[in-house]
Amino acid sequence: MAERDLADRLDETIDAIVARSDATAALRDRDLAALARIAADLRHYPRPDFKSRLRAQLEWRTNMTAASTMTTGASATAIREGFTTVTPYIRVAAAGLVDFLVQVFDAQETFSGRGGGGGMHREVRVADSMIMVGEGEAAGGGGVMPVSPVAFHVFVKDVDATFTRALAAGATSLGEPADRPYGERSGFVADPFGNHWYIATPRPRGEAEVARGPESVASALRTVTPFLHATGAAEYDEFLQRALGAVEEMRRDEGGQLRYARLRIGDGAVELGEGEPMPGSFLLYVADPDAMYQQALAAGATSIMPVTDQPYGRIGGVADPLGNRWFFSRPVQG
Amino acid sequence: MSQTTEDDRLLIEAAQADPARFVDVYERYVDRVYVFVSRRAENRAVAEDITSQVFERALAGIGQFEWRGLPVAAWLFRIASNTLADHWRERSREAHEAPPDVPDAGELENIERRITLYQHVERLPDLQRQVIRMRFVEEKSIREVAAALERSEGAVKQLQLRALENLRKSMGGHG
Repeated sequence: MAERDLADRLDETIDAIVARSDATAALRDRDLAALARIAADLRHYPRPDFKSRLRAQLEWRTNMTAASTMTTGASATAIREGFTTVTPYIRVAAAGLVDFLVQVFDAQETFSGRGGGGGMHREVRVADSMIMVGEGEAAGGGGVMPVSPVAFHVFVKDVDATFTRALAAGATSLGEPADRPYGERSGFVADPFGNHWYIATPRPRGEAEVARGPESVASALRTVTPFLHATGAAEYDEFLQRALGAVEEMRRDEGGQLRYARLRIGDGAVELGEGEPMPGSFLLYVADPDAMYQQALAAGATSIMPVTDQPYGRIGGVADPLGNRWFFSRPVQG
Repeated sequence: MSQTTEDDRLLIEAAQADPARFVDVYERYVDRVYVFVSRRAENRAVAEDITSQVFERALAGIGQFEWRGLPVAAWLFRIASNTLADHWRERSREAHEAPPDVPDAGELENIERRITLYQHVERLPDLQRQVIRMRFVEEKSIREVAAALERSEGAVKQLQLRALENLRKSMGGHG
């Protein structure tokens, strides 16, 4: 009888512990106290399937990282010199974008040549970042990269001066330079081709601002970083992690919506926020394009270019659910 | 250099040379990190989410980790502390909450005690282990557990009592 009572009293105590209500009365019960302490510790017992799921997630991530991070050993030459894992490929119908980038961001053209589709393929460097530009309706991968404006976050020394130069070069203002609560002074423009440039200079912040939000992401990014807008950014964030092995390095949610995320892909990065998609094309230098292509398909992407050997390397491409196009390439060695 | 420290150094070096080896770091420390986080998280879902973020961040940062002889656990607890602070800031945007302290010796001892307890749960007789999991992890009521196991509520309460008494005995003076 006494044991039955103890079983009931213990059960009531466990109910209280699980419900996080007051279970301290049990500590005054001599028969119950030691069991109640054990029960309190059991409330933090990890879910076995959580641990196995997280382990599987990390294993997958490390495999993808090994495929997409070109830092050591045999994969060291998989990225073209001067590039990172992620290179945006901006498609424009006519010439003029490279001139804009030179005038506004002091870009340097590093390559210009006739592309396989008949258009011009050009490459420019903006400080530590590379951008590819395809000019002409047929340019870029035989038409698999449609003309479509994209968005970028770009860090400069003087946002006001750069903003003024952008307007002089034909851009339209999307937002005058102003001090932002996320540790930047930023101004926003659309270039003559409709691409958005979120021009920013990191700035020191006061104590109140430090309390309100994260510091500028400038220190963690290169000069130019693609900014992906997504409807349902939180789901898209998960897709990028599954499809590309992206690693979420920073995230802010507001009102149940993902407001901002920074995702590392290999040694490159993209930023992500809720908004109307501006789908673009991106070239990812990876050690194993076949594996990345299959991984992306498994995550829900659709094929737009099966992986094949081309004169410049092995390459394949997919479109994601928002229309962004990702090309996985391992350049010709040597 | 202690054995633990030497093991830590080897774990980190292996993971830096081959990211696939990071799972060894994970296996060794996931329980400690989870227990540290769980005590400070408002519910199990948040504890799991933050623990995931801790290991994601650790994996992302393993290449930059410089071995200075400090335990790997201290590095992971620091990441966990910062991740918790980020979470709190998100939850109450106006409040500025400092990151929680990394565990002191007393809390480290408590963490180790709980991990030992959880290992003993794994060694319980099958039915007792199921009851513990359903009651504490799945947060089922006695009635729900009884239905799942097709036993009376009284029988489940007895199984629950025996499970906790077994755990108390296994923990000896630590229970």
